[in-house]
Amino acid sequence: MSSRAALLRDTLEIALCDDRFPALFYDKLFAARPSLRPMFTRNSPGAQQKMFAQKLAAIVDSVDQPELLRAEARAIAKSHASYGIRPEMYGWVGEALIAALREAVGPGEWTAEAEAAWTEAYTAVAEAVLAEPPA
Amino acid sequence: MLVWSLDEPHRLGECFPVEEAVCLGRGGPLSDDPAPRGGFFRSRPGQAAPCPPVGNARVSRLHLVLAPEGDALRVRSLGRAPLKINGTLTKDGLAREGDVVEIHNAAVFYVSLRPRVLPAAPGVGDAFGFGEPDAFGLVGESEAAWALRQAYAFAASTDRHVLVLGESGVGKELAARSIHGMSDRHERPFIARNAATMPDTLIDAELFGNAKNYPNAGMPERAGLVGEADGSTLFLDEIGDLPEKSQVHLLRVLDSDGEYQRLGEARSRRSAFRLVAATNRAAQSLKHDFLARFVHRIEIPGLPQRREDIPLVVARILSTIAAKNPRIGERFFERRAGALAEARITPELVSRLIRHPFTHHVRELERVLWLAIGCAQADYIGVTPEVEGELRDSAESATEVAEIGKEALERALADNDRSPTKAAKALGLKNRYVLIRLLKKHGLSAGTDSDKDDR
Ligand code: HEM
Repeated sequence: MSSRAALLRDTLEIALCDDRFPALFYDKLFAARPSLRPMFTRNSPGAQQKMFAQKLAAIVDSVDQPELLRAEARAIAKSHASYGIRPEMYGWVGEALIAALREAVGPGEWTAEAEAAWTEAYTAVAEAVLAEPPA
Repeated sequence: MLVWSLDEPHRLGECFPVEEAVCLGRGGPLSDDPAPRGGFFRSRPGQAAPCPPVGNARVSRLHLVLAPEGDALRVRSLGRAPLKINGTLTKDGLAREGDVVEIHNAAVFYVSLRPRVLPAAPGVGDAFGFGEPDAFGLVGESEAAWALRQAYAFAASTDRHVLVLGESGVGKELAARSIHGMSDRHERPFIARNAATMPDTLIDAELFGNAKNYPNAGMPERAGLVGEADGSTLFLDEIGDLPEKSQVHLLRVLDSDGEYQRLGEARSRRSAFRLVAATNRAAQSLKHDFLARFVHRIEIPGLPQRREDIPLVVARILSTIAAKNPRIGERFFERRAGALAEARITPELVSRLIRHPFTHHVRELERVLWLAIGCAQADYIGVTPEVEGELRDSAESATEVAEIGKEALERALADNDRSPTKAAKALGLKNRYVLIRLLKKHGLSAGTDSDKDDR
């Protein structure tokens, strides 16, 4: 496993030890972008958080395997096609995610390197999702 | 067996066999795993279908290393979320059959000894979702649940009368419905009646019917249960409450191939019914020759005999409650893609329920769950003080009990006037029966108790 993959994995596992994560991510997202809140109606907040955490873990676990990562991106593109998402929203989600991770992981472990790794990984996935042909 | 999972509630009942040292963690193997990765299986008669690795985000990539050690299981934690065995935090501990192993707020496992593949069960339908109720409503993937399904199927196939034994609340009517449903008689209506609720003076009329105007004018003609069940199945619950006289009458009908007479009628009739009788008393309490008529006796295990099934039964009860009470569903259940999904139930409550010594089984479980719902303070179902009052499990675990040695037992007895009740209390055991079992194992004996109220 690459050291970047290990860093992503470790920071995610640390963040998840904080019971507020990933709820914290949604709090930050809706605080910064209240207009997104009404889009989240199908899943209860708890279920949405569990699915999001699970998906993040799956992405982090496949970050060294381009084929698997691509499959994850394809699945997200497919399920998200009907949610009315505009491309710029991926940036908003990315900002809230990094901010939530930063807070949940805490200053001791959240290094500049970790932030760079997460920013890069998220951007790559978001680009891969957006690059999928519309369903 | 997986009995609770935060992220993957649909996976309850899957088994994680430990036959040699294996690792458990999220996702596939890592190059530096200290042992091969174990796998999850959905085990059913004659098959063990492999399942994907854990996807649960709170389970670390490499979380547990498990290995058999004597009659126990050595569990070591290398993961981030803490490990608990029977609710006690540890990094490295032993677990035995009946113990609960938890990865904090991520997943709960129940340790049980069972074959990886359950013995084949010919004639038993398995066309229902894993962990879901079967066609007749029985929930469970344990060895005991499948043995029961097989017993029903066998009884159904032979068309003989059946005696169902089991404590109250184990689901004796469900047994009868299953047998009826699997039998060639399934298209005819199932006739069920509780003998305990029939007034003594009317029992024969209930059973065998009566002619018009008998015993008095204006009385309509009635076919009786035996007549109604012609070509079908007659289920009589609490048969032990049937007065001896009526047992004799019924016995006569069974002995004469279904020949009976309606009260007030001279001619004989014949009913080709199959009797499924149930009692929560010991079989011996039935009249001997009555008992002898039942070739098939099916003993239904209580929840403590199939603890692995408790979480599945809990999930089933809760979803039935939610379906009938939308407000409860709204408050305590997650919603996925617009539909009601899993209940928010704490791992602590599940672990405690698994270890509770049920005496009224499914009925008792239902009552405890209603109580937990009724006194919940937030949007999840957990152990409130009221629920605590109903649960009798205690901190005692199979492992801790097994570790109590002969000397400790002798000391506890000596210090407590050889009273098993007091000695049990001093050792932190649930009750004196646990102590007596232990004493037997070590070839010791205690005095007798004067007080009996130690439960
Ligand atoms: C890489 C980034 C993302 C990941 C990993 C992710 C993950 C998920 C997952 C796992 C689900 C639940 C299952 C499903 O419907 O597929 C979900 C649902 C959803 N996501 Fe995302 N998502 C991402 C980006 C976004 C973005 C940018 C938006 C824009 C606002 C968005 C909006 C939604 C909505 C509206 C739902 C449905 C929730 C509901 O109706 O309750 N997601 N997402």
